[in-house]
Amino acid sequence: MFSRNWRVLSRAYSQAVTFRTSEISPQHQNDKQIGLFYTLKQDTCKELFSNGGLPKSFMKQTKTFTETTLMIRQPALDLINCIKSTDFNKPVIRYVLYGEKGCGKSLTMAHMIHYAYEDGYLIVHVPWVSEWLRRVPRHKEMSNSQTREGLVDLPLDAAAWLIHFKSQNQTLLKSSDLKISKEYVWSKREKTESGAPLSELVEHGIARIKYACDVIDALISEIKILSNNKQCKTFVAIDGFNSFFYPLTRLNTPTKKKVKPDEVTLTKSFLELTKNDWNNGIILLSADQLAVPDENQDSYFPRYLLRKQGFEYLDPFVPIEVGRYSDKEFLSCASYYRDRLWLRGPPEIETELKFTSACNPFKFMEQCAPL
Amino acid sequence: MNFNSRFLNKKLCNYHFRNCIRWFVVQNRLYAKATSFPDFFQNPIFRKEDQAKLIENSELAKLAAVPVRPPASYETCSVYHDPLVNKVINHVMEMGKKQLARSLVEKAFENIKRIQIERYHLAQTQEEKNKIELNPKSILYNAVENCKPLLQLSPIKRGGITYQVPGPITEKRSLFLSIKWLLEATNDKERTVHFPEQFAWELLDAANNTGKVVKRKQDLHRQCEANRAYAHYRWQ
Amino acid sequence: MSLVMSFTVKNLLPATICSIRSNFPSSIHKYSTGPSKTSSNVLDHLTDWETLSKNRKTSKAMKAYLERAKEHDEFMKRQHLEFNIGKRHLANMMGEDPETFTQKDVDRAIEYLFPSGIYDPAARPLMKPPEEVFPARKAAEFDEAGRPHHFLFYTGKPSFFKVLYDAAEHIQALNKFEDKVIRKKATPDPNGSLKLEGSVWLTKEQLEQSLVESIKEIEYENFKVVMERLVSSPYAYLCKDFIEKYRKPLAMQRFALEIPKPSYDEEGRAFITTYECLRKKARGEVTIRYPGSGKISINGKDITYFEDIQPREQVMFPLIFSGMQNSVDVECHIEGGGPSGQAGAIRWGIAWSLRSFVEKDMLEKMQVAGLLTRDHRRRERKKPGQPGARKKPTWKKR
Repeated sequence: MFSRNWRVLSRAYSQAVTFRTSEISPQHQNDKQIGLFYTLKQDTCKELFSNGGLPKSFMKQTKTFTETTLMIRQPALDLINCIKSTDFNKPVIRYVLYGEKGCGKSLTMAHMIHYAYEDGYLIVHVPWVSEWLRRVPRHKEMSNSQTREGLVDLPLDAAAWLIHFKSQNQTLLKSSDLKISKEYVWSKREKTESGAPLSELVEHGIARIKYACDVIDALISEIKILSNNKQCKTFVAIDGFNSFFYPLTRLNTPTKKKVKPDEVTLTKSFLELTKNDWNNGIILLSADQLAVPDENQDSYFPRYLLRKQGFEYLDPFVPIEVGRYSDKEFLSCASYYRDRLWLRGPPEIETELKFTSACNPFKFMEQCAPL
Repeated sequence: MNFNSRFLNKKLCNYHFRNCIRWFVVQNRLYAKATSFPDFFQNPIFRKEDQAKLIENSELAKLAAVPVRPPASYETCSVYHDPLVNKVINHVMEMGKKQLARSLVEKAFENIKRIQIERYHLAQTQEEKNKIELNPKSILYNAVENCKPLLQLSPIKRGGITYQVPGPITEKRSLFLSIKWLLEATNDKERTVHFPEQFAWELLDAANNTGKVVKRKQDLHRQCEANRAYAHYRWQ
Repeated sequence: MSLVMSFTVKNLLPATICSIRSNFPSSIHKYSTGPSKTSSNVLDHLTDWETLSKNRKTSKAMKAYLERAKEHDEFMKRQHLEFNIGKRHLANMMGEDPETFTQKDVDRAIEYLFPSGIYDPAARPLMKPPEEVFPARKAAEFDEAGRPHHFLFYTGKPSFFKVLYDAAEHIQALNKFEDKVIRKKATPDPNGSLKLEGSVWLTKEQLEQSLVESIKEIEYENFKVVMERLVSSPYAYLCKDFIEKYRKPLAMQRFALEIPKPSYDEEGRAFITTYECLRKKARGEVTIRYPGSGKISINGKDITYFEDIQPREQVMFPLIFSGMQNSVDVECHIEGGGPSGQAGAIRWGIAWSLRSFVEKDMLEKMQVAGLLTRDHRRRERKKPGQPGARKKPTWKKR
């Protein structure tokens, strides 16, 4: 009888803890831990994702669950293995994440950023491109670009991004081994000299919003040079890359003319960055249906979302599909929600939810909400 | 000859049934197809618990021989379905937009859950934690229970003066008033606050026996108590 | 003395005077039995006088009635003849044998020869035997003397009130029986009990037809109340015949009768296809394969074909109810209608197909849950002069 109690207890214990793993460093995670959740440390979280990076609904969940956890899934592990076996002397490889709405592309990207952070990469992360091009509350601060004719600037967004960049790369920038190679003249009285640390460039951009877009341009060219010189390895992550290639944005010039993404300086900068003419880096992009308006959301494949122009630009790239939950992942997620008091009720609910949510992670989360 | 006989036949047939139509008893139906199931169709019983009860009473076979109406498009046997929740969704619904109403109520439940989980994590001792109710449906049940009035005032005119006379209230009407008051209180919200959040707050207050709606019910009870002198007017 | 005689005669036999007087009109001779002046003959003459006078007053009504009845009979005979001749002609027209031409064939022929686009079946051309077409008439309700046969004639609806009277009598009789049984301290017979599940009370129209009298709504409700009271007594089985007369049996459910056998496809899996899955304007077909793994495909897409949660729940309903969600594969094609209609059509299709793969008691459970009933409701038409199907314009008192 004692042994039976012991068995029951141990089973309960193992059931209680099967959805978690204590391996919090992405570098050491392996296939055995697929479907398990690992917790991110609070300060890492703040550094990496305080200005974006995690989807809004996920941020709400972190507040409710009082912790930030990510699930270890197959696409992320595949990416980590690919990265571990890349040859950094060759030009950069571009990976494109694709999948249905709500399957976990942004969270996979977050997982990779955490890995890059642990591994000491210089992170260039654009949380959500459509934020710049399509989220127009009432009036977006735009100005005509000074350095490039006929193009439009988005100074506030650029400055916000520079803050994000700074917070993500705090440790690397503080070690200040990275120095600029050229001199940049902003105006009569302001210029940044060659040999100054990268952080100075960034500070300048944050302080002087007027020149923020140009600072980003400069920063990107500097990063390329630094990577080529093997002074740092770069990890570029851009979420919603396909909105750069959609014919229209929601921006309007003061003359009420629609602006194309090609006419925005930020587009040019990041397209410059994602060209594979430099090495010692990884580029991770995602093609998302949510980045384009509803009429053009017929399919989730990159060929459709990136359109002809984008596909030719990005060719060759490695596509990685992020799919729905497998059975094991689903069960693990359900037990995690139960543990966090998000899902309550009899066990039959799980079969029903599996059916109605079709194992889509986002839908599953939504449908657990009122239960 | 054939033609003649056919013509004659037709004439005969025509004559016969033209007469028939004139004399035929007119049916009361206005529509060619029936728009709802006839009265003798029974209501369906699809929840597992109700069916288990039937099996105990061994009445299942009898009911299986009778025609049964199909369940409505929002009723399922799953644990999702709850008649009170569905009633609330119907009351929230406007212009027949059930999807929108359902999503609003579900978001309200989500908000309740988040608030309660937050409180749960803030509570220090295990007893306090046990007291906090985390299931939004049971909070809804408690809220609706606490807001149900037990009497109602009906205006009765005697001698030129309209008195508000307290009288009994049926279960159905009491439930209806409770839900209606909750929704009215939610709609008196600020412009920036969204319906689900306000609804969540109202439900939590009502479940705790505080808040505007419970106050309204208690005011009604006080009025009834004050007017109990007029109660006999119901039978004059 | 003769005066006295006559006086006494007058007093004793006042009838004689009448009879003497009555001898004058010549027509009376036919009523009198003979030239006898005995007391019985006198009494006969007495009644003869009353009936004579009464007949004079009521003969017109009776005559008119008799005339009308004769006319009606003759009319019916003529109609019968015409109908039969017409039937034979119709059979000839259709090229069929007149001897074996049934009423069903007649209906089919009329539908073929006179196609009609009218909605109401009652307004379309028809050819039926005269009894069904012309309303039934009552037999003579009063005799030649004008006295009604039925004791409730003066209520205006004698048959209907007779029914209520009989029911009341039965109720009282049953109450007495129950009292007797209780006094003897016996129990009711458990075998004898009424089976009322498969039948309903006659509708108002049917009752009117069977009693050949018009009935008001209130009266019909009263009738139902009385019959329910009769049925609620524990010994109602004693009056079974009386009750059966006013119960209409419902059509037995055919959900269990013709369960189709599954056919087998290339891989050896059993599958069943239900065609004609309808709900509102949605039309489709559902195929269930067994054994399967719980895959759903709707028009080629996954269950994500439905974006909202309610249609998905509806599709899930029969599978979860019968517990087969992981053991069958579902494949459906639907078009038309909206998400709710399509979901309803698929739900019925799945339930109907699952009949072949499920046990008998689960069949009964599905029937009680109403999953197997076809939903034939359609959108009601908007009427002219009204904003909607039922909504009327604002009611103005004046």
